[in-house]
Amino acid sequence: MNILSMLWKNLWGGNRTTLFPARPTVSKGYRGLVQFDPALCSGCAICKFRCTARAIEFKAGKGEFTWSYDPGQCTFCGRCVEGCAEHALKEGHAEHALSQESAPPPIYLHIGELKNAYTVKRKTTVKPAVKPDASPAVGAPAPNAATGGTQ
Amino acid sequence: MNLWNKLMCYSRRHSPWLFHMNSGSCNGCDIELVASLTPRYDAEQLGVRLEGSPRHADILCITGPVTHNAVNAIHTVYDQVLGPKAVVAIGSCPATTNVFIDSRTLDGPLNKHIPVDVFVPGCPPRPDAIIQGVAKAAEILAARGNNPPATEIVIAETPAEVQP
Amino acid sequence: MNLTTALARLLIFPGLLFAVPAAWFFLWVERKAVALMQGRVGPPFMQPFFDFIKLLGKSTPPRSGVGGLLMRAWPLIAVSAAAGAVGLLPVLPSSGGFEGDLILLLALLELPSMCIIAAGFSSRSIFGEIGSAREAVLSVAYNVVFLLAIVSIAASQHTFRLESLAALPASPMRWLGVLALLVCLPAKLHLNPFSLPNAEQEIYSGPMVEYAGPELAMWELSHGLEWVAATGLVATLAAPYITIWWLAALVFVGLMFAIVLALSTLASATARLAIDTTVRFYWQCTLIFAVLAVSSALFMRLRS
Repeated sequence: MNILSMLWKNLWGGNRTTLFPARPTVSKGYRGLVQFDPALCSGCAICKFRCTARAIEFKAGKGEFTWSYDPGQCTFCGRCVEGCAEHALKEGHAEHALSQESAPPPIYLHIGELKNAYTVKRKTTVKPAVKPDASPAVGAPAPNAATGGTQ
Repeated sequence: MNLWNKLMCYSRRHSPWLFHMNSGSCNGCDIELVASLTPRYDAEQLGVRLEGSPRHADILCITGPVTHNAVNAIHTVYDQVLGPKAVVAIGSCPATTNVFIDSRTLDGPLNKHIPVDVFVPGCPPRPDAIIQGVAKAAEILAARGNNPPATEIVIAETPAEVQP
Repeated sequence: MNLTTALARLLIFPGLLFAVPAAWFFLWVERKAVALMQGRVGPPFMQPFFDFIKLLGKSTPPRSGVGGLLMRAWPLIAVSAAAGAVGLLPVLPSSGGFEGDLILLLALLELPSMCIIAAGFSSRSIFGEIGSAREAVLSVAYNVVFLLAIVSIAASQHTFRLESLAALPASPMRWLGVLALLVCLPAKLHLNPFSLPNAEQEIYSGPMVEYAGPELAMWELSHGLEWVAATGLVATLAAPYITIWWLAALVFVGLMFAIVLALSTLASATARLAIDTTVRFYWQCTLIFAVLAVSSALFMRLRS
């Protein structure tokens, strides 16, 4: 009569239901919406390459790029976040632009409602090339042909 | 009769009956949908009942990116659902075909075929997210029932078999 | 009893006006008890009422021809039969009745099942036909036991009048008959473990597959009224005779409540049995006892 004792325990032991609209909390490792920090992004586009569902779009422009993310297209695999973290580590940075929030994504009513795009100016980490000086340097020989030139 | 209308609106909101349909899904979303009827999430506290026939249901819950084989079935089932109705697209697949984008076996996102009211993203969405989506669809359904849209929804006359 | 009393019993108490809220109440009790025993919260109190109102507001598919007319008629016949069955119950002492009204009650209780079978066939859907075939097989199986139990009770007490059966002190034969009735109730009310005709996901709701809107509301209502009538019949036979009218009514409703709780416990403790196991259960296990009950009742009657 195990089932009857189980039913009795359930009847008097209270229910295990999360009453609507409360929601149970998710674990720490839960993969939710991908979050983008424009200040930390170097524009390498590894996330777009690694994305399985083509949720991330990357358009490179002159001195700036546009990064966009559609949570409706996303499959929440986390490859973009992993790729960003690996690349940042290789370059010696402690922080990276992409992270994943531990919360379930919200419901929406119209297609494309959750999509957002950022236009980020490229960071100048490379020094611009220096133009050589026009004034002749003292004692600087002009490059000659190998055969002895007439003096 | 304002009182009757209010009562009808309240009843529609508090008694959403679902019909679940799979249009080529990997079954992850289907499992989470029936998990929402388990004691932890208990969709029945909202009056939700998973019905066996589309004629009984108000809300059509569709999972899966729409495969070619499923297009006719979706149209048939959508026509079989009667009266004020709402459609919930569960998972990212019906909304945007997710990872199956550009696949040759698919026929586009769901809203290419039928009007969708609520999208529940996730792969798969959590059961509590599905319940939220169903509750929102019940609200939309109640508002729509008392203000029916201008276009008539065509209903299939002959009883057609529901294709799995 | 004269026409006004009959109409009052049919329409007001314990007829339609009392029976319909009682039906909704017992439907809620069953769902809530099953939910609590499964560790869930379950539906709120007014849920069957809201279901009914919502179904009234849905449109129905267009029905054509004689088949369509029949399809629209079956739920109405089922509701009126079940309401009539409830109206015949002697809830209050000395509420009238007539000789043989037990037989009328049984006939009226039978009609909703017949209507379900007919509805499944007239919906011209393969799922409806499968569900109706299952309901028909099940109906034959449990009805033999049901009717034999009733006949044995009536034969042992020498009357077919409900009020006299309620008034007479109980004999051991009556308890045997009540036990047999209780065994038949899950099949009659489509509860686990004998809920096969209702197999929702398996045969797409079986006989009800093409019904929608107000017709479906009538089916749900007839199901609830069947609950009230069947549990009321068992309560009539099992309750002691009390002359104080409000106490009698209270005991009656209390007994019905207890039967509903017992059936809900059975429903949440068991799974659905397949058709062959169900039919085998009714023909092999319970038929023996029903035959024994009838033969001993007749034997005692012949001797007395």
